This record gives sequence, C-alpha cells and structure tokens, in this order.
Amino acid sequence: MDLAPQLVNFVARYVPYLAQGFALTLALAAASVPLSLAWSLAILLPRLSKRHWLAAVAAAYIEVMRNTPLLIQMYLIYFGLPLFNIFLSGFACGVLAITLQHGAFLAEVLRGGVESVSARQWEAARAIGMRNRQAFRLVVLPQAVVKVVPPICNQLIVLVKDTSLVSAIGVMEVTLSAKVIIERTGASYEVFVAVALFYLVMTTALGAGLRVAERRLALRFG
Amino acid sequence: MIAVKGLRKSFGPLTVLDGISFAVAAGEVVVVLGPSGSGKSTMLRCINFLEPYDEGEIRIEGELVGYREAGNGKRTPRPEGEIARFREQVGMVFQSFNLFPHRSAVENVMMGPVHVRGISRKAARETAAGLLAKVGLAEKMDEYPARLSGGQQQRVAIARALAMQPKVMLFDEVTSSLDPELVGEVLLVMRRLAQEGMTMIVVTHEIAFARDVADRIIFMDKGTIVEEGDPREVLLNPRSERLRGFVRRFTGALPES
Amino acid sequence: MFHVLIISLPYLLKGAVVTVWLSLATISLGTLLGFALGTAGAVGPRPLRAAMTAYVFVLRGVPILVVMFLGYYVFPALGYRVDAYVAVGAAMVVYVGAFVSEIVRGAILAVPSGQIAAARSLGMRRGPMLREIVFPQAFRMAIPPLLNTALTTIKQTSYVSVVGAWELSYAAREVVERTLAAFEIFLGVMVLYFIICYPLSVAARHLERRYAFAS
Repeated sequence: MDLAPQLVNFVARYVPYLAQGFALTLALAAASVPLSLAWSLAILLPRLSKRHWLAAVAAAYIEVMRNTPLLIQMYLIYFGLPLFNIFLSGFACGVLAITLQHGAFLAEVLRGGVESVSARQWEAARAIGMRNRQAFRLVVLPQAVVKVVPPICNQLIVLVKDTSLVSAIGVMEVTLSAKVIIERTGASYEVFVAVALFYLVMTTALGAGLRVAERRLALRFG
Repeated sequence: MIAVKGLRKSFGPLTVLDGISFAVAAGEVVVVLGPSGSGKSTMLRCINFLEPYDEGEIRIEGELVGYREAGNGKRTPRPEGEIARFREQVGMVFQSFNLFPHRSAVENVMMGPVHVRGISRKAARETAAGLLAKVGLAEKMDEYPARLSGGQQQRVAIARALAMQPKVMLFDEVTSSLDPELVGEVLLVMRRLAQEGMTMIVVTHEIAFARDVADRIIFMDKGTIVEEGDPREVLLNPRSERLRGFVRRFTGALPES
Repeated sequence: MFHVLIISLPYLLKGAVVTVWLSLATISLGTLLGFALGTAGAVGPRPLRAAMTAYVFVLRGVPILVVMFLGYYVFPALGYRVDAYVAVGAAMVVYVGAFVSEIVRGAILAVPSGQIAAARSLGMRRGPMLREIVFPQAFRMAIPPLLNTALTTIKQTSYVSVVGAWELSYAAREVVERTLAAFEIFLGVMVLYFIICYPLSVAARHLERRYAFAS
C-alpha cells in the first residue's frame, strides 16, 4: 500500500467536510482555556484561605472533580439544567463542564506552586510592610505561576483534547463530524486518521507555543 | 528608642529566649554576637514581629510591638493592618537576601514605596535609582537578581529596606552566606549607614566589624544576654569563658585577659 | 425525590460492574505494555527508542476518544469482526501503554547517575545493575504517577459509551432518556464513580507524600 498519496487523497477528500468541525473544536478550545485558567484562580483563593470551612469547601469541590468523569458532569449540565428552566447550547454546556473540571485541576497545580514558594519570600514582603494579600498578589503568586508553567501547559493540552468529549452532547466539533460522515456515507476509518492528524497538529502547535513562553520566562529568572 | 524587657519565647518545649532585656538609643549601632542556637535571630525577628513572643515587652518609641494592652494587663495581638504599617518603620535585611526574583533590582527597591506607600512609579524609580547608586549598584539597576552576585544581591536588599525610610535597620547575619571576597562590599555599605546615624541592630559573626563599628556589643548564649558593653572592652576582656572561646574561634587570636 | 434513582439502582450497578472490569483489564494490560515499552525506551537500542518517542508523541497528542473511534472502525475495515469491548479496550490499552511507558522511562532515567557510576565501579554488569539498583528505585518513584494514570483511566472508561459500548455512563444515559430524571440519575452516577475512584485517589496522594519524604 502506497501510504503517502493515499493518505493525502483521503485527507483531502474529508477535509472540507471536517472543516466546520475543526473550526468548532478550535472555538471550544479557545473558549475553554482562558475560562479554565480564570476559574482556577477563583478556586485557588478559597482553597488557600485561612478560614478552614472555605478551604474545606474548595477542597471538596476539587476532590469531586478529580474523582468523577467529565462526561457525566457534561451530561448533568446538559440534561439537568433544562429541568430548572435553564437552556444552554451544547457548546456552552461543553465549555462550562470543561471549565469546571479543568479549573479544579489547574487550581491544584497552582496550589502546589504557591506552597513551593519559599517562606522567605513571604517574610521579605511582610518586612517591607506589605499585607498578606499584597504579598500574595505581588510576590508569591507570580513566582508560583512561573514554577508551574510546565505542568500547567500539560494540563492545557489535556483540556484541548477533552473538547472531543463535547461530541457526546451533539456539538458538531470534529470528532462528531467524523462519526456522522462515516455513518452517512459509509466512509471508512481513514476519516478518523484525518481527525487524529488534526488533533496532533493542534496539540503540537499548542505545545510548541507554550514551550516558547516557558523558555522566555525561564530566561528571566535564570 | 527601642526597649526590650524580659523577652521570652518558646517553640513548643524549647525555650529560645529566656528573659532578654536591653535598650537601643536612636543612632546607636548594637552588634549581637553569639553561637548558633543562642536565639539572636529569633530575637531580631521578634522586634519586627515576624515572630510573636510569649512574655515580656518590646517597645519602639514607646509603642508595644505586636500587641495591644488591655487595661487589666492582658494583651491581644494587633490586627494585620497595624502590624504591616508598623513594619514600614523597621527595615530588615536577611541572611538569604530574599530578593524578589521576578523583578529587577530597581523594581525590588521600588516595591515598598509603590505598593505600600502609594508613591508614583516615576518618583519611586528616581529614589530607588538613588539608593542603588548609594550602595554602589547604579549600573546594575535593571538586572534581575539571578544575574547578580551574592554581595550585589545583598546590597540591593539593603537598598530595598532603606527605601521605606525606616527608623531602625535590623541585619540578620547578612554576610554569613556570602563568599568571603564579597563580604567586604556589604560591610562597607553597613559602615557608611552607621556613620550616617542610622539606628542599627546587627546580628553577625564579623568580629572586626563589631569592634570597629558597634557602639555596643551584646553577647547572647542559650537565650540570655551573657555580656554587654563597649566593643573594645567586651572583645579584649571578655568576662565569660564562653565569650572568650567564641572570640577565639572567630578571630584565631587569644584576647588578653 | 430520589425515587427514580433508587428504582434504577440495580441497573446502574450492573453498569458499574462493567466499568470496574473494563478498568481493571485496561489498566493491567496497559501497565504491562507500558512497562515493557518504557524499559525499552529507556535502555534499549536507539532505533527502538526513536520508535518509542514517536509512539508516545502521537498518542499524547490525540484524544483518547478519537483513538477509541479508530479502534472501533479499524477492525471491521480490516476484515475482523470483534466485540465492541475488545475494539475500544484494545484502543485504551494502546493509549494507556503510551502514558505508562513515559512514566516508566522517566523513572528509570531519574535514578541518579551517581548510583550507576558507583555500581559500575564495583564491577557490576548491566543486567544485575538494572535489576538490583535501577528498577527498584525507578519503581518506587513511578508509583504515584502510575496511580494517577489508573485513576484517569477509570474515568476514561466512561468515554466508551460515546463510541457505543455499554457500561455505567451508557446505562445512565439510557435511564435518563427514558425517565428524564437527569439531575438525580447523573448525580447518583457521579457518586458511584466517586466511590470507585476515591480510594485510588487517596492512595495516590498518600504515596506521593511518602515518596517526597523518602527522597
């Protein structure tokens, strides 16, 4: 089997059909990444709070996210919200579910980073008269973020791959588009090879971009 | 200006400070010597309330540090905002420099004035540049700590503390983690500061510095003050055996008895 | 209020059992595969290492759902009629294998080189050195991330429902489409998954802390 031209042929045949799916996958990723990062910061603060009940609630939330599948959370939102008269699009439900779950993971990674910032940095900040909140915002958090850039990048790549799951609630991103094509036209598994290639290109580009950012930060801090 | 009376502190079962009392007048330079574990660092950290203390008093210009006294002799810890404001008047320089690695030298010095005092960035930058020039690092202004030597980092740390215009400067073994050839540049800055009349409490092992710059030397051991007095007297005629041994170890010379 | 959930519980529990079996099968096979490939990737000949890098790179860049779909459609296309479980299971094993191999490879390479130098200078040969010194330490280091991978795999068994294999998530969706009691059913299923996953979560964290002290 002459792989190269066949591969090109197959990819070329299906790309137009999948193009919309590609775009929707990219849109899902573009929406979920910043929202998840923002949400992770929102969870981080209560998680680190000195008020025990607040930290416990945040910890419980993170634990639930860690031990239940994203799929069920997505189903819960998509099928459950209409029972309360809230009607969100499949896209919105997908983004919401991804944000809720990955925000929790990212928060844990950030927490590890914050706890690894030396206590001495806290002291130096307090010694010049900073309050705890200022010290956290200006001195500790920036350093924590830099420390955890590699695991955060990895988590973001997982996040982008998880957009494929939104196919389960009928959103025509690339995975569902491929499935529909196969069912409607009797096409073969090569469609999914094209899909796999698409994801590979996307995650590789994202990984490369994140690594450049990583290196720039590393240069600053020796 | 600073009055310490009967200071006591324990970490669990371990008593680290066992009744420390001394006073520091404005403009005085007091050097604290002593073996490790004698409680010198802990005492220093109590003065700017990085550590709370169990008994006794620390007063700076008459104000009790860290606590508010109720009438009946009981004490409650002060709220965080008050303590933060109090710390603006007490500058501290640490053994491990503790510069903020994600900011350049001048930005490190500006941190306090801009974010604690609310001074404009432009004005703060000018003052910071001036302070860095004063410690001899004008040309390293925009460098990040990772690119500076230990001695340079420590001098930036001194400038950062000075930027808050403190009434007193605390130095916690600031040369102990420096390579020997870098120690001199930091001590020079400290000397000049002393000459300018800054009130300083310096915990150090640098006996020569103590002898030349201190107005008074305090020798601590096992949480108490063992000897106190004029530098030349204390160092040349130590009354306690412990201090004699200590001085011998650090200078290699036997003081006349 | 949870009336529907209670009635459907037997059905859902059957699904949970399938989930557990599927998890055990894919985790154990995937881990075995991963150990073999990871070791090859760390200490094997160069062409093997290159192949390993490519394998891991591809599988890490593609979502597991896509790999499952590929598995589902590839077998009939090549003329084999296989059970849906075998198809998605095989896909999962290949996927898990990639991640485990990276963990194992990383753990082996993380054993301090000073130890290997010491072993060599004692005259130790490759075989015993790997067996007595490298593998035991690598194994200890690898356990926390391996447990985390196992945890992730259990959650990923839910994805086979999207491809069409029956397990807990598939059962849940069936029940909801029949009864419309989405909230209580999915909440109940979340509890079931939590019960399955939590012990592993706790074990992973406990061992992570233990290893952090030991090093």
